[in-house]
Amino acid sequence: MRILVCISQVPDTSTKIVLKNNNTSVSSDGVTWVINPYDEWYALIGAIELKESGIATDVHLVTVGKADVEPVIRKALALGGDEAIRIDADSNDPYEIAHYVAEYAAGAGYDLVLCGKESIDYNNGTTGAMLAELLDIDYIGFASGIQVEAGTALVTREIEGGEETDACNLPLVISCQKGVAEARIPNMRGIMAARTRPLKVITPSKITAVTEILSYELPPAKTGIKLVSPDNLDELVELLHTEAKVI
Amino acid sequence: MNATEPMKAIKGGEFLIRETSADSIFIPEEWNEEQLMIAETCTNFLAQQVTPNLQRIDEQEEGLMRHLMDEAGALGLLGISVPEEYGGFGKDFKTAMLVTEKLGAGHSFSVAFSAHTGIGTMPILYYGNDAQKQKYIPKLASGEWKGAYCLTEPAAGSDANSGKTRAKLSADGKHYLITGQKMWITNAGFADVFTVFAKIDDDENLSAFIVEKDFEGLSLNTEEHKMGIKGSSTRQVFFNDCKVPVENLLSERQNGFKIAVNILNLGRIKLGGGTVGASKDVITSSVRYANEREQFGRAISKYGAIKYKLAEQAIRTYAAESAVYRASQNMEEATEMLIASGLDENKAKLKGTEQFAIEAAILKVHASEVLDYVTDEGVQIYGGMGYSAEAPMDRSYRDSRINRIFEGTNEINRLLTVDMMLKRAMKGELDLMGPAQKVAGELVSIPDFGAAEEDGLFTKEKKYIANFKKAILLVAGAAVQKLMTQLGKEQEVLMNLADMLIELYVSESLQLRVEKLVGLRGEDACKEQLDMMHVYINDAAERIAKMGREALNSFAEGDERRMMLMGLKRFTKTEDINTTQARRNIAAKLIAENKYCF
Amino acid sequence: MSVIVLIEHTGGIIKKQSFEAVQYAAQIARKIGTTATALALGSVATTEMEGLGQYGAQKVLHVADGRLNELHSSAYAGALIAAAQKEDSKVIVTLHDIKGRAVAPRVAVKLKAGLVAGALSYPDTEKGFVIKKAVFSGKAFAYVNILSEVKIIMLMPNTFPVKKLEGKAVVEQLDVSFSDKDFGVKVKSVNKVTGEVPLADAELVVSGGRGLKGPENWGILEDLAKELGAATACSRPVADLHWRPHHEHVGQTGGTIRPNLYIAVGISGAIQHLAGVNGSKTIIVINKDPEAPFFKAANYGVVGDALEILPRLTAAVKKFKEHHQ
Repeated sequence: MRILVCISQVPDTSTKIVLKNNNTSVSSDGVTWVINPYDEWYALIGAIELKESGIATDVHLVTVGKADVEPVIRKALALGGDEAIRIDADSNDPYEIAHYVAEYAAGAGYDLVLCGKESIDYNNGTTGAMLAELLDIDYIGFASGIQVEAGTALVTREIEGGEETDACNLPLVISCQKGVAEARIPNMRGIMAARTRPLKVITPSKITAVTEILSYELPPAKTGIKLVSPDNLDELVELLHTEAKVI
Repeated sequence: MNATEPMKAIKGGEFLIRETSADSIFIPEEWNEEQLMIAETCTNFLAQQVTPNLQRIDEQEEGLMRHLMDEAGALGLLGISVPEEYGGFGKDFKTAMLVTEKLGAGHSFSVAFSAHTGIGTMPILYYGNDAQKQKYIPKLASGEWKGAYCLTEPAAGSDANSGKTRAKLSADGKHYLITGQKMWITNAGFADVFTVFAKIDDDENLSAFIVEKDFEGLSLNTEEHKMGIKGSSTRQVFFNDCKVPVENLLSERQNGFKIAVNILNLGRIKLGGGTVGASKDVITSSVRYANEREQFGRAISKYGAIKYKLAEQAIRTYAAESAVYRASQNMEEATEMLIASGLDENKAKLKGTEQFAIEAAILKVHASEVLDYVTDEGVQIYGGMGYSAEAPMDRSYRDSRINRIFEGTNEINRLLTVDMMLKRAMKGELDLMGPAQKVAGELVSIPDFGAAEEDGLFTKEKKYIANFKKAILLVAGAAVQKLMTQLGKEQEVLMNLADMLIELYVSESLQLRVEKLVGLRGEDACKEQLDMMHVYINDAAERIAKMGREALNSFAEGDERRMMLMGLKRFTKTEDINTTQARRNIAAKLIAENKYCF
Repeated sequence: MSVIVLIEHTGGIIKKQSFEAVQYAAQIARKIGTTATALALGSVATTEMEGLGQYGAQKVLHVADGRLNELHSSAYAGALIAAAQKEDSKVIVTLHDIKGRAVAPRVAVKLKAGLVAGALSYPDTEKGFVIKKAVFSGKAFAYVNILSEVKIIMLMPNTFPVKKLEGKAVVEQLDVSFSDKDFGVKVKSVNKVTGEVPLADAELVVSGGRGLKGPENWGILEDLAKELGAATACSRPVADLHWRPHHEHVGQTGGTIRPNLYIAVGISGAIQHLAGVNGSKTIIVINKDPEAPFFKAANYGVVGDALEILPRLTAAVKKFKEHHQ
């Protein structure tokens, strides 16, 4: 079984967002780049676990980005990916990105395509379902557990107010979240092997984006907290009623 | 590097008399992708496994430290510099130093890690025969076995060769029977294998033995109660006719003291790296707290008094780091040259390290004192919370202190710095006499105000540093001439000289690093680094002047003294700069990044 | 030309957030001079569907196929496209939730339509079709312009207050033909958490952190939640320590919630936690450490020991409720 894991590079969670060019772009100065945590901790490690248990034969990684994403790709290889594909393009339009990945994946014979439930930069969470549509295969979102037996995936996924377990024949796209796997740290063996694993760069055929980000805005600073004495909680409840209007 | 260029081979201690070019040093801004990934693995390991458990570690929860060492072993972090044939990863010295630095923020875990990978593993790796290495090294590199090192005794600390532990051959000639008591043994509580130093019969010098935990006659005392690094297992180890197979004698009889000294050289520079890592971590905590804590309606990081502290923490740490990696690179290059000249790899490593023993001692002293400064100011920035056991500064403050004591006290290391320098001069390895006489000659000639040199970005600093060298040669030359054989007893003068050497080495390393960095990134991207260089060298000049005066005033008199003091003044003179603004710039960067960011 | 909005229901009961989506679609429809049409899938009572008129839907298209009671993203997408084509819709609205995120991206691909996931505003048609959404886990907002002819908006639930008006929608059956391939996913088992307010939908949430000191102290937190009618949540360390089940974990790696009121008890407010809750309208922080970073993100704060404050707050809420019955 061959697995394709979609990864994207995002600013580390603790990054302070600084806007530039008249608020039309986000500054990358001093940003620490990481693999999107949902892609890394759940999709990638989930795939590696399937390989370790003998179910998967190959774990390939794909990302859309320019050459500056390669350190992050090699980290993914250090965690255990066999091969990486970088699609040489830069976009924040979900449709455009999904198209590039699908163009690569369409003829490549993957049985399972895994991605994180969303990326922590644009918070769309739409790549998985778009890929499924483009590849004309099934899709299960918000998975918290994946098992594969005899060409069928058993996927536990979140539903409103609980979870359910679905069965679906491969090929299949799954978006992953907490529960699929546990985060790992790349070990020395993996780090040293990462250098020798192939990182292919492919140029996609151009497609026109259907959205554009015109500008960004930072949230207004919270205008001062109101501290309430622990001895006067009636006042707090009153404030919730009259001021915040939440009860 | 290219081994066919012998000119590049810088000798240890030569920094005092030779100019170094910026492009010949290694700077941490040059880490490659693989090294950065290894560093990130270390940082993530601490963040996930160590930092959340510091309290449990300090309570010495049963099995926890062993477990953490197992985890570090599973990640490969215990075998970084062990050759691949013995189950390690064969990484170079700088990479091993990087790992030590990153894990240096791990408090007691760092101590266990350093002891295991350093004094716990290296004696066997460097001095063991193949059978010994095959038996022990793969287990130590994977972390299956934990290592410890038994040198210090109740009455033999700094004077290690005076130990009372004795070994004698058993009647059947198959075992050595070791009897004695070792003290302050790091990792003793959970170690599987100990390198033990003892004198065989009435030998003059120590021998070293590989002793397994289960050998008959070895027993442990209870855990010591310590000021800091409470999670580090520290016990006395007792040997009562402890039966050690003869094949476990390490290296040759009476070679133990040499082993101990060489392993300490390695340990010292590693300690330099580890304390730099701890300093960076404390700075990050300090900045975050200063940005969060508000007083009089503003974050305390907005106040100049706090900015000064943050900047000074960063300046000293950045300077120490520059020196650590400069020396690491030198050791590595020296080792490669020795290998190229036909020496066996392990011997080359030891000899390469030994060549830079002066620098190793300097780094040990400087970086451990920087950490003490950084944690002290960290406590201060935290204010009342700094004194609370619920905030991180309490532990950092207590844990920092040991670094000035172990691996040779900072006093011993200061003495060694000067002692080694003078010994090398005596042996003709280092030509101090010529340059010293030249400086003495300069004193009676008309001062050279220098032809108007091209005013480059580093012209002044390079001049200052050249002058610092003259200042040291002036004071050291005079001390040797005046005190002659008495110099060894004038420890205050030796301390002064050591401090001057330390300031010189660190100033020069910092200057070279910034020069190289500007070459790589351009001046605009290095503003804060330039500020750090300006402030550090400015202050170093004053410290060198003070130390020099103190020394000269202790042994020189009359006109001679006046003349030398004038010379000293000339060699430590710097142009006035606005250090307040420079520190504010550095602090502004730290505050904006909310972490140590250089 | 009408604006199409996908309705969600559980066992025939229309989900509350779908009212908000209908109202949102109706508002856009008014703006562009058309009407809103809702699409309901599976077994829903006619009266339920007619009731959508109270939120601005003129018409409800109903695909009654029982197989649609379960989520089948491909079939749902097919139905939504059929409805959009029938109505010649240029704007399609879904919720930015589990179902919406499975369906809308498929529709977007099929119709080559630009999509905004997690919309927080009405489209600004002055500069194109510009919609605000949160990016970088709430640390910034982006204004996204949709360039394609058909526009898809996934509305972030709990963004606009819902007002119920008079009205009754016309229900019309819609026939859509599906293939077996649309039902490739088979549900094997369902495990619903019963007897609690589902966290994702909750308007009020009481959340506990390590400051509660141990799982045995959760009773007093649950008391407050019960009194308020709130759901309970927890921080990551609490879930990792197994004090609380993992589905309660909110934050970067857990669930993201946007309730009207989030009460954080004994949670310091690490950036990873804030990423999961910073869309909450009102935040109360109860913490004994006045330096806890969470206070910076809060509207109201109480400095003190959680174990002492919780029972008192519960009593205060109880007193308030008695007076306002």
